[in-house]
Amino acid sequence: MAAWSERLAGVRGVLLDISGVLYDGGEGGGAAIAGSVEAVARLKRSRLKVRFCTNESQKSRADLVGLLRRLGFDVSEGEVTAPAPAACLILKQRGLRPHLLVHDGVRSEFDQIDTSNPNCVVIADAGEDFSYRNMNKAFQVLMELENPVLFSLGKGRYYKETSGLMLDVGPYMKALEYACGIEAEVVGKPSPEFFKSALQEMGVEAHEAIMIGDDIVGDVGGAQQYGMRALQVRTGKFR
Amino acid sequence: MSGSRLRATSVMVRFVTNTTKESKQDLLERLKKLEFDISEDEIFTSLTAARNLVEQQQVRPMLLVDDRALPDFKGIQTSDPNAVVIGLAPEHFHYQILNQAFRLLLDGAPLIAIHKARYYKRKDGLALGPGPFVTALEYATDTKATVVGKPEKTFFLEALRGTGCEPEETVMIGDDCRDDVGGAQNAGMRGILVKTGKYRAADEDKINPAPYLTCESFPHAVDHILQHLL
Repeated sequence: MAAWSERLAGVRGVLLDISGVLYDGGEGGGAAIAGSVEAVARLKRSRLKVRFCTNESQKSRADLVGLLRRLGFDVSEGEVTAPAPAACLILKQRGLRPHLLVHDGVRSEFDQIDTSNPNCVVIADAGEDFSYRNMNKAFQVLMELENPVLFSLGKGRYYKETSGLMLDVGPYMKALEYACGIEAEVVGKPSPEFFKSALQEMGVEAHEAIMIGDDIVGDVGGAQQYGMRALQVRTGKFR
Repeated sequence: MSGSRLRATSVMVRFVTNTTKESKQDLLERLKKLEFDISEDEIFTSLTAARNLVEQQQVRPMLLVDDRALPDFKGIQTSDPNAVVIGLAPEHFHYQILNQAFRLLLDGAPLIAIHKARYYKRKDGLALGPGPFVTALEYATDTKATVVGKPEKTFFLEALRGTGCEPEETVMIGDDCRDDVGGAQNAGMRGILVKTGKYRAADEDKINPAPYLTCESFPHAVDHILQHLL
């Protein structure tokens, strides 16, 4: 027990992954993972700062938060760091107009972005919208660009839904990388910029933060690489 | 003409191709219509290579191949699959089917790729080949596919089965410098690059070692073989 309090010394803030930690998505919105609603409540009652750090890119923050609240979680939009808004900032900064290979559910996050005459591609977890046709369109856009730029919202291999494991955006990102001979820029975990902005928003330094996640590479590995501590849960995609 | 000149000698002939959307029967009929004198057992395609591997490994494949390629898998059990075979099959490359394949692979099923072409030419421009989707599944499952078509060494060695010939006694004639000539030479054969079909100027500089010979066309290649290599 002494060993644990040493290892957790100085933790002032907790970053929580959402899918696979708090709930599993699926039919009817999905299901909360046993005990997670109460665990979040306990964290919020403690002196620790709490922030949600997700790679969710199939739904807008509003929809995601709505769903989580219906499952009983105490969470609000302002407490969530998600990749689509982060991508929008980058696009604006660099004057880029994206062709979006995304699920309709997240399109609203790009409402302020000019998507005419695209000069880059943004790929997210499009789920069922990863048709051959949509993939091919994104591929053709990239091949026509003198300087092909591809942003991927996360690069996870798969995630868990109530019906089973589902291909995530990562494999599709790799498909386009291979087809075009390019490398994507990842927006979201485990990119350092993403952790940096989550910590800034929480007002805590890396060495004072602990990340809880189900993805050993994206959540745990990424957080530890950034100088945080991290906890691996055996729910969600864990095998 | 050139084909029959070769036949007049004691040379064994094989016709090899990476096609994944024509069964051997279809290919044979098409070539016969063009007046080539060929028999079915002289044709070796990447589909044949895939079938051989499936039989060797005694697996039941989920076949993500063009419907027109299915006859080449006749007799192979495909229910309750424990392997995945991928060819050029855009109609199967949507989310639900790839997800099914992904779950099989995660459970330990082997992934057999007929080839890993990045893209191919369609009337409306370039279109994604099987390569990107094979790469996607490899990444998702942290495994490697066994690629059976050109330029894999195993393809060329398999093609020689039943001919009684060694790679060193074999010449490959093709228009694709990397896949035909490079692949064949890597398998120990001599490669002759012909300047027809998809050949583009200076292709012969793209591989190392360079092609054994680069010449104008198939008839010229046959000339060379008959004059210098017999």
